[in-house]
Amino acid sequence: MSVLALAVALLFAALAAIVAHRRATRRALRLQDEALARLAQTHAEEKARCDASVAAHEARASGASAEIQRLADALASESENLAQANAALGETRARQDDLLAHAKRIEGESARLKAFSATFERWHEQMISLMAQNHDMHRKNQELARIVNHVLMVSLNASIEAARAGAAGRGFSIVAGEVRSLATRSQELSKSYRDSLDRNDLVTTATFQDIQAGGKMITAALASVEALARQFQSKLERKPT
Amino acid sequence: MISQAAKDSFERIFFQAARTRLTTDPAHACEFVPAVSPGPAQPGVSDEVLVLTIASIHFRIVLSLQFGDDEATRDYYASQGADRTLREAAMEIGNLCCGAINQQLVEHFPDLGMSTPYALSSDCLGYLDELKPEYIAAYDVTLEYAARLRATLCVCASAPLDFTAQVADVHESAGELELF
Amino acid sequence: MAKILLVDDSSTVRDEVAGFLRKNGLDVDTAVDGKDGLAKVKTNPGVRLVVSDVNMPNMDGLTMVEKIRGELANSTVNVIMLTTESSPAMKERGKAAGVKGWIVKPFKGEAVLETFRKLAN
Repeated sequence: MSVLALAVALLFAALAAIVAHRRATRRALRLQDEALARLAQTHAEEKARCDASVAAHEARASGASAEIQRLADALASESENLAQANAALGETRARQDDLLAHAKRIEGESARLKAFSATFERWHEQMISLMAQNHDMHRKNQELARIVNHVLMVSLNASIEAARAGAAGRGFSIVAGEVRSLATRSQELSKSYRDSLDRNDLVTTATFQDIQAGGKMITAALASVEALARQFQSKLERKPT
Repeated sequence: MISQAAKDSFERIFFQAARTRLTTDPAHACEFVPAVSPGPAQPGVSDEVLVLTIASIHFRIVLSLQFGDDEATRDYYASQGADRTLREAAMEIGNLCCGAINQQLVEHFPDLGMSTPYALSSDCLGYLDELKPEYIAAYDVTLEYAARLRATLCVCASAPLDFTAQVADVHESAGELELF
Repeated sequence: MAKILLVDDSSTVRDEVAGFLRKNGLDVDTAVDGKDGLAKVKTNPGVRLVVSDVNMPNMDGLTMVEKIRGELANSTVNVIMLTTESSPAMKERGKAAGVKGWIVKPFKGEAVLETFRKLAN
């Protein structure tokens, strides 16, 4: 009896073991499947990532070559600009040299104009000489006036003497009267001449002072021009840093 | 042709120049009485007149100064230098006065020149009209109630003249050394 | 042979300025105009300071300075103008001619004495 029971038990145990084994195997297979599925998915994801990465790289590469092309074009255009700029620079330098030469000429001219002060000195000397002549004319006129006064006195005295001589002095008295009349007219003329000299003195002095002052004004203005010309020249000569 | 503003400016400038340069001390009293030019011969005024000219492009100014020929005037200026006669000092005084006018005007008219002074007989003043001035002003000036002068300012213009001068009360940068 | 040369056509100025400087122990020669001044600078190489008016007959002060610089190229003499002129154009001309300083008259001795002393040495 017991052997049967044992056999049944063993059979049950074996069955259970087989069922369990199958379950385990199925579970293991299921796990394996799941693992495989995960691997497959991971693989797919990786592949997708790689593809994307490759696509990105390819896009970048094509972008880069577009960029390179653009830069090449830009370089070509800049080179052309540079060539033009160099040409312009060459023209500017030539113009600057020309301006510099011109500025030197201006400075030379204004330095020459400064020599005008010698002319003004000459005018001033002539002024002084003329004023000295004026003095001389005054002196001579005064001398004349003195002589005329003297003649007047003499003619008065002569008239008195003639009157004393009575009838005999009549002829003489007429002459004395004529002399007095001449002397009086000379006196008036001398006075009038003195007035003319005074008028002449004022106008001459004023004119000559105007020339003297005007000359200084011109000299100062010319010096100003010369200073500007020199500054201009040195500005042109300065090399750019 | 000379605006009223310009005439007033000339007068202001002359007054300032007289106050600071005709006096031996700028703090001295300075009185101006308008006079008629040429007017009758002034008693006690020297028979010599000092003439100076300031020239600009479109106008010129003729300044004439007659110093008084009296003790008071001689004494006023005698304090300056022991053995100088008024006549010798007058040239330099006139030069300084005209120089002060020049300095004020140069701020308005950058091209300006001044002559050296010259002495003439005062009878010449009667012929100022020959210069055909647009403006004449004459003043009897009294300094510190003692010294007397007759001053005449004559402006001849060849173009319209208009400017306004602000005459600063204190304008004494004169005498200082400006180093370059 | 003095160290300072004063050039002015006014005897008043010569007396006043030279007198003041001499009173303060400085040795001063005088000249009456630009021509005279130029001649005196040429015959007196020891002069260190020239004080000159601008407006003078025969040769004005600025022309004199320009000639000093031109004809005595190695001249190191210091020049100061003492004048009634104050226009910027004139000062520019002075500067260009090598003038060291500018004084507008009237002369105020005390203010400039020390500088004159220094420049005369």
